[in-house]
Amino acid sequence: MSATGLNPGIIPSLVKQRGLVAVLVERELKARYRGTLLGYVWSLVNPLLLIAVYAVVFTLVIPARIPSPVPYPLFLFAGVLPWLFATGSLLDAAVVLPDNGPLLKKVVCPPEVFPAVTVSSHLVHHLLALPILLAVMVAYTVAGRMSFSWTIVLLPLVLALWVITFGGLSLAVAALAVHFRDLKDLLHNLLNLLFFMSPIIYMPDSVPEGTLRNIVHANPVTPLIVLYRGVAVEGHVPQASWWGWAIVVAGASWLFGAFVFSRLRDSIAETV
Amino acid sequence: MTTPPAVRIRGAGKRYPSLTRRGKLNSLKGALLHGELWRRQRSGEGFLALADVDLEVARGETVALIGPNGSGKSTLLKLVSGILHPTSGTVDVAGRVTALIELGAGFHPEITGRENAIINGMMLGMSRSEVMGRLPDIIEFSGIGPFIDQPVKTYSSGMYVRLGFAVAVAPEPDVLVVDEILAVGDEAFAHKCLDRITGLQRNGTAILLVSHDLGLVEAMAQRALYLREGRPVFLGSARAAVSRYRADVASEEAGQGPAKASAKRWGNQAVTLDTVELVDTEGAPIQVIRSGEPATLRLAYSVREPQEDFVFGIAVHSEDGTDVYGTNTDIEGWQPQELSGRGEMRIEFPSLELAPGRYLVDAAVHTRLGMAFDYACEVCSFLVTAPVVWPGCYAPRHHWRPDGPVMLPPAE
Repeated sequence: MSATGLNPGIIPSLVKQRGLVAVLVERELKARYRGTLLGYVWSLVNPLLLIAVYAVVFTLVIPARIPSPVPYPLFLFAGVLPWLFATGSLLDAAVVLPDNGPLLKKVVCPPEVFPAVTVSSHLVHHLLALPILLAVMVAYTVAGRMSFSWTIVLLPLVLALWVITFGGLSLAVAALAVHFRDLKDLLHNLLNLLFFMSPIIYMPDSVPEGTLRNIVHANPVTPLIVLYRGVAVEGHVPQASWWGWAIVVAGASWLFGAFVFSRLRDSIAETV
Repeated sequence: MTTPPAVRIRGAGKRYPSLTRRGKLNSLKGALLHGELWRRQRSGEGFLALADVDLEVARGETVALIGPNGSGKSTLLKLVSGILHPTSGTVDVAGRVTALIELGAGFHPEITGRENAIINGMMLGMSRSEVMGRLPDIIEFSGIGPFIDQPVKTYSSGMYVRLGFAVAVAPEPDVLVVDEILAVGDEAFAHKCLDRITGLQRNGTAILLVSHDLGLVEAMAQRALYLREGRPVFLGSARAAVSRYRADVASEEAGQGPAKASAKRWGNQAVTLDTVELVDTEGAPIQVIRSGEPATLRLAYSVREPQEDFVFGIAVHSEDGTDVYGTNTDIEGWQPQELSGRGEMRIEFPSLELAPGRYLVDAAVHTRLGMAFDYACEVCSFLVTAPVVWPGCYAPRHHWRPDGPVMLPPAE
């Protein structure tokens, strides 16, 4: 091993460290639920509550003028769920390296492991919440308000695009946050703004034509949400242009994140 | 040496960027606006923690790093362990490195000792199955017993470090980096740790050790690198490096600043050793002596300022640095009275029972606390000859006594 040689790529390193990533994800989940009575139920309460609030507000308080193709709570669910995966990953990535400072400074440990653990454990949470989405869909189907579609088999493909996009961005956030602690607060506000700029509580086409709609369509998160909701609950495969846009977003995010991370990698241990 | 060294450090240096608020804001602005983030720290900026270190550590060799706080010892350890990267020069390490920098670093308080041991072991580079295979040994060595399945937050600090040590030495590393951790735990566990480390030494692990316990350094390390303000001051046998460091500390305490020094000679020169030579019974200087013959070491000195606290000492080592013999007047109970003018100190050996080979002599005059007046390394050398080339360095007089005529004595 040469301490001065080039860094190995992020992906080969993570493949090599997959065992470590796996046990760290396990630790993360175990440590989070140890000592609580309800355990993993808590990780479902948060999205469910959020969805309940939005559903009540937009169906009862201010009935949305949204021509939603499926019942609105389900529409909302399918938008909020992946969004929580994304924001959870990014916000945790902003603190994961400082939090693991002792490991980085006192044990020889490749730093890329930590953002990978963050993203993986949020992915696990996401997967644990999926059965609830499915249960709600089954309930609506039984009630005759929608029909279950085969397109849900495409969901893993769409999820992969989400993971690549936010995996890449989490790498960048993790490395930059070591140098600039303000990033966490900045990110918090940016994500709030982005939430309303993304078609999560509304359809992209229900935005009035003009600048606003252009902004929503140009938002790189939009294609990811359109794809997720399309295959998961709406039962149709979105147009190829949405797929193309999403693949570009995922590829660019990953390349950007990997580039930033590998440039800053060597300075992480001495700065955290 | 035919096998390549386990650690090879060439001209290594480390400069830390300055982390002032202003610097950070500037760099954030630079990063966002001009993409300056990864531009190399311009030379001359920041804090130079370490410079110009050259060091090779062979397999099975232990080298200690000594020096005052802030001298760059820990930085050097982190360069070797790969935690930090040098900003100049190169650091090459062959094989698996384990760093014992902070025991139990990264244990997660909420999960059990067993789970933490597995995670820590994997961080040290073992595979999951490797850790599982060694887990019984780890638990046994840590002496934690049934508590291994309790969350680590319930552990005492002693249990914490014991488990940390047990995991850290489990991978049997090629290179072990130890930072001042043997002071932890109770006496019994400290012995167990030392025992384990000497076991690793015997198995060929190269060890780099930082310790302020100079007695431990002399006992465990063959060589030592004395660092001061990030620069190497002296690299040599552990004993010589320690005495050099002690001399500096003592003279600083006496308010005189570090003693005037070159690599092989230092001291404040209140007393100087003008001649150090081996002489025969007639008093004539000799360079070659037959093994077992009488000889005398003569230390001629001159005193600039009369002294009441002084110790004469000598040490003999072989050319490869192995200590052969050393003594001083203080450990043998001689009471200093007064030293002034010129004079000489002699140490007589009725029979110099050394194996054949070349030997080097260090000689010194210093205070009882170790502040050097004059400490001269390798100030004199001599060659010992013998009819038989015995190995080692000790050649006592001896006679073979066969039980009856089973062998014939050598022809004269």
